[in-house]
Amino acid sequence: MSAISVIRLTGELEISRKDEISRALHLVGSEGGVLVDFFDVTYADSTTLAELLRFRREADGQGIPVAIVIGSRQFARLIQYAGLGDAFPVFDNRGAALTYLGAEAKA
Amino acid sequence: MVQRSTSTFVGVVLTLILVLGLLIGGGFYVRTLITQAFDDTAAIRAALGYSRQILVAQLDEETGVRGFAATGDRVFVGPYDTARARFPVLATKLQAELDAIGEHDAYAAAVDAAAINARWVQMVAQPILASHPDLQHAIVLELEGKALIDRFRADSDRINADVVHRQQVSQAAIRDAIDRINVLVGTAAVFIAAVGAVFLEMQRRNDVRIQRERLRAEHEQREAETLRAAYDAEKRIADSLQEAIAQRPLPTLPTLRFSATYVPATEETKVGGDWYDALELPNNRVLFAIGDVTGHGIEAAVTMNRARQALISSALLEGDPAAVLGRVNAEMYRQNAPLVTAVAGFADAGTYEFVYSTAGHPPPLLIEPGRRPRLLPCGSLPLGALGGSVYQLHRIQSVPGATLVLYTDGAVEHSRNVIEGEELLIEAAAGAAEQRVDDTASFIHKTIFDGRAVGDDVAILTISFAAETATGLRISADDAQSAFVGRLGRNGPARTSRVAPQNRRSTALPERRAS
Repeated sequence: MSAISVIRLTGELEISRKDEISRALHLVGSEGGVLVDFFDVTYADSTTLAELLRFRREADGQGIPVAIVIGSRQFARLIQYAGLGDAFPVFDNRGAALTYLGAEAKA
Repeated sequence: MVQRSTSTFVGVVLTLILVLGLLIGGGFYVRTLITQAFDDTAAIRAALGYSRQILVAQLDEETGVRGFAATGDRVFVGPYDTARARFPVLATKLQAELDAIGEHDAYAAAVDAAAINARWVQMVAQPILASHPDLQHAIVLELEGKALIDRFRADSDRINADVVHRQQVSQAAIRDAIDRINVLVGTAAVFIAAVGAVFLEMQRRNDVRIQRERLRAEHEQREAETLRAAYDAEKRIADSLQEAIAQRPLPTLPTLRFSATYVPATEETKVGGDWYDALELPNNRVLFAIGDVTGHGIEAAVTMNRARQALISSALLEGDPAAVLGRVNAEMYRQNAPLVTAVAGFADAGTYEFVYSTAGHPPPLLIEPGRRPRLLPCGSLPLGALGGSVYQLHRIQSVPGATLVLYTDGAVEHSRNVIEGEELLIEAAAGAAEQRVDDTASFIHKTIFDGRAVGDDVAILTISFAAETATGLRISADDAQSAFVGRLGRNGPARTSRVAPQNRRSTALPERRAS
């Protein structure tokens, strides 16, 4: 039985919250997939984006599907700058992300 | 701390005042007790004396009367008269003393004794002395007065017993008072010693704390100085690395114009890894690049230098920017370097074409005559993020007089709202075009920041095609809006062609709705 775990962070993600972000982005007990819920995130600095990429690499290494939900237009733009759309399936609502993860888990 | 020791001091002083007050009060109380006891003692002694003296006086009277009766000699009458004269005085004094010490029973006995004496004088002594000496008669009278004498003796004994008892009580009271003084003084001494000990201990702790704080402050200062020195050294190195970049001259060409600016963060804790390059190549071509290393300090500066060298050497080998970035990425990934974002491309002054690729970097901005400046497409991961990243190639057919603006994220992320930042940048670029400024880069920076403090390094590089006379002007096509539409990273404008194949980790990405 594999469950989908949700990692939720909000606000502006920057270097002063590095520890919190590193702790949040872990894979333990997430075999069914990880929903990175950044719906209420409005900004992320390069440190955070690097953390996200590290997380993506680790998940990829363990074959765990990851989806990211983004609600803020400005944060979506940053994600676009960073090319993270290449590394993550990006969604603008949680439902679509869960549907995607469910389908990935069955596949 | 000062406040604490002050309140301690006040507490100690108040305690001492309280103890002193108790001592003085207790002293007065004990003094009263003792004074009273001594006054009593004097009165008791006097009472004992008078009590003895009236007994002696009574005996003198009896002896005088008995002697006269036995011998008929008047010589015995002398002592009798003397005693007789003293007796009332002594009795009055005895009664006064007994009254003064409050011995009411003894007082009553003294009054009684005086009365008995008077009766004895009247009934026995005077009849004997008034008559001719007659022993027989005297013996009868004396026997008749025996009861009176006995009663007098009893009164005298009672007075004596009472007063002696009173004397003992009084002495006991003095002993008690002295004991109380001892207790009081002892308690006070213990109390004062305790308060003193507490005060001294507090003083000692205070001293220890002050000492410890002084040591810690000194330690912190030394540490801060060490850190400061290390930081200064690092900043000097990073600054000189950064300066080396700023000093690299931009090419001077008849067909292309350049402008550039690098403004380090106002906060001196941040020495960034921003750089830009413009390098002349054969056939009217120019390599341009701008980049930013994640993080700050020497490591960032060193990584920046590596990325930059790798980029230039790759550009000499590869003809297209996507391949250039692919090589640099492989190199940076291999070195496990901090992430680097960059834009690299070629400008062709013969065809007015810009070809570029981006790696996790904000999009280039294009200013064309008569049009509103627009942001070009961007995307793809930063350099060093994934080993096999492949970069999209964007080909922009532009026009004479067009200016390509490259910048680092500090130029658009200063407010944390990147959409707002982009609008400000576009406005600044439009202003530069309108005013036909020479130093476009500096103009844009000044317009955006307007003298405000800058939280991150900002580098700006612009490349302009020389303006052409009206003939042969190429009209650029649809606006390349990179809006938040469609799947991120794939919303390239119509005139952008991709040369590199897509490199998607997940091939089954769902479509994303526009929000």
